[in-house]
Amino acid sequence: MNHAIISCLHANLPAVEAVLNDIDRQGINTITCLGDLVGYGPQPNEVVELIRKRGIATCQGCWDEDIIDGLNACECSYPSQLAERRGHLAHQWTDDQLTDENKSFLASLPTSLRRDRLLFVHGSPNSQHEYLLPDMDAFAALERVETAGADILFCGHTHQPYVRELRDGSIRVRLQNADHDCDQGEELTLPMRKIVNAGSVGEPRHGSTNATYVIHNDATDEVEIKEVAYDVARTCQAIVEAGLPKVFAWRLSHGFEFAEQAEDASHVCER
Amino acid sequence: MIERWALVSGLRGNLKTYDLIQRDLKKTRGVTSLFVLGDLVGPERNCDALLDRLKNPHRGDLKPDCIYGWWEEQLLAERGFRGERKADALRLSQGEDAVNALLNTVNPSNLNWLASLQFGFIELDCALIHGSSSDVGDNLTSETSPLILLDRLTRLNVNRLFTARSTKQFHLELTGGGINSQVKDLNGKREQQQEVPKRSVIGIGAGLNYTLYDVGSDKTHFLTAGSKTNPKRNGFA
Repeated sequence: MNHAIISCLHANLPAVEAVLNDIDRQGINTITCLGDLVGYGPQPNEVVELIRKRGIATCQGCWDEDIIDGLNACECSYPSQLAERRGHLAHQWTDDQLTDENKSFLASLPTSLRRDRLLFVHGSPNSQHEYLLPDMDAFAALERVETAGADILFCGHTHQPYVRELRDGSIRVRLQNADHDCDQGEELTLPMRKIVNAGSVGEPRHGSTNATYVIHNDATDEVEIKEVAYDVARTCQAIVEAGLPKVFAWRLSHGFEFAEQAEDASHVCER
Repeated sequence: MIERWALVSGLRGNLKTYDLIQRDLKKTRGVTSLFVLGDLVGPERNCDALLDRLKNPHRGDLKPDCIYGWWEEQLLAERGFRGERKADALRLSQGEDAVNALLNTVNPSNLNWLASLQFGFIELDCALIHGSSSDVGDNLTSETSPLILLDRLTRLNVNRLFTARSTKQFHLELTGGGINSQVKDLNGKREQQQEVPKRSVIGIGAGLNYTLYDVGSDKTHFLTAGSKTNPKRNGFA
């Protein structure tokens, strides 16, 4: 059976509607959302209410957590101080806009969802703020899936969709301890595991303005990355009209984040 | 001079044990540094005399460089040095009596010094931490999955991790292996191969059991303070 996984909606209603329509057209009934319903975008209440109305199983993203717990929940990974200030502006604006009911909904979201051997998280099993990038150390990536007791880990947060299969792994070890004088050599065979990143519906950063999501077939384990065009200009207009930083509209219209990274690439937030 | 480190943990207020280790070290050739990897305090006895000795070494003592461990973390949390966190892990595992016992073992005048201790040291390509890069309470042993050990090393980008939380003495070396991965995205597919780097996790022991590490030869020696000889406790290069 096919099921769809969406992530990082970021208060972008036209993108969310386009993706849900695309999923509906394919007759897919099971949808899982990996969080970040709000932040950056101009329609946080509308997006949260649509997800609630559709009864879509959702786990909490880093923005959802920060809106509830305050910015102190952030293990900050903004690429520059300027980006961080803009992020704070968006946080404050979103906090002012969201209704108490919708905040309560975000607060009620679990940090992970599990269906048999499938695990759904926003960032990683360790944290909503940890990025599992496609080229990260393969052993560390496998450790995240294996330690969580999953065969396939679905995540978002990077805004870049990918499917990574980790296979044919082994680690040889040699041990000496205080009780044994002789070395004990052995080899651990590692299991095959998969990480599926759903990309972003509401704020793509993969080099295209199209919204992305993934479809997984739980019988064959095949994964398809889907791109959906939507009315980007409409969302950009709404961002500007809402008084949010114009760079959010610019970024949305390019599908990249590189401009912010260039401003202060060495910044590491120590908050 | 070729460096030789002494690595100690789990003193838990026992000045007699520390004194025996210092006596051992005076008789051991070439020890250049003494690292105390946490658990300076514990609930069993008053710890102030040991803390005073660590802060103010006796003449002839090898000067200790200390970090905090799991017991200090519990104490400092309960005393309000860790924001809203309390000694929840201790409370959960050993109950309220253990928390109260711990609070009574350290004079409040020593708390600021304990709170000033670091989480760990990075020396050369070695990490010296009570638990691991993941958590001060991370209990790494020779039984821990090598995948997890490799992860803890990778997080710090070091080749050797000295850990104390388990109280065990072991030297587990990752000697080889690899993994293949395939990444598929909207630009297509790409294959990646990665080999296991040669790295080690060393459990240094606790209390009377301590470890010497020869930096130049990468040899570990598992020792017990006060024992006359340690003939077959050498680690491997």
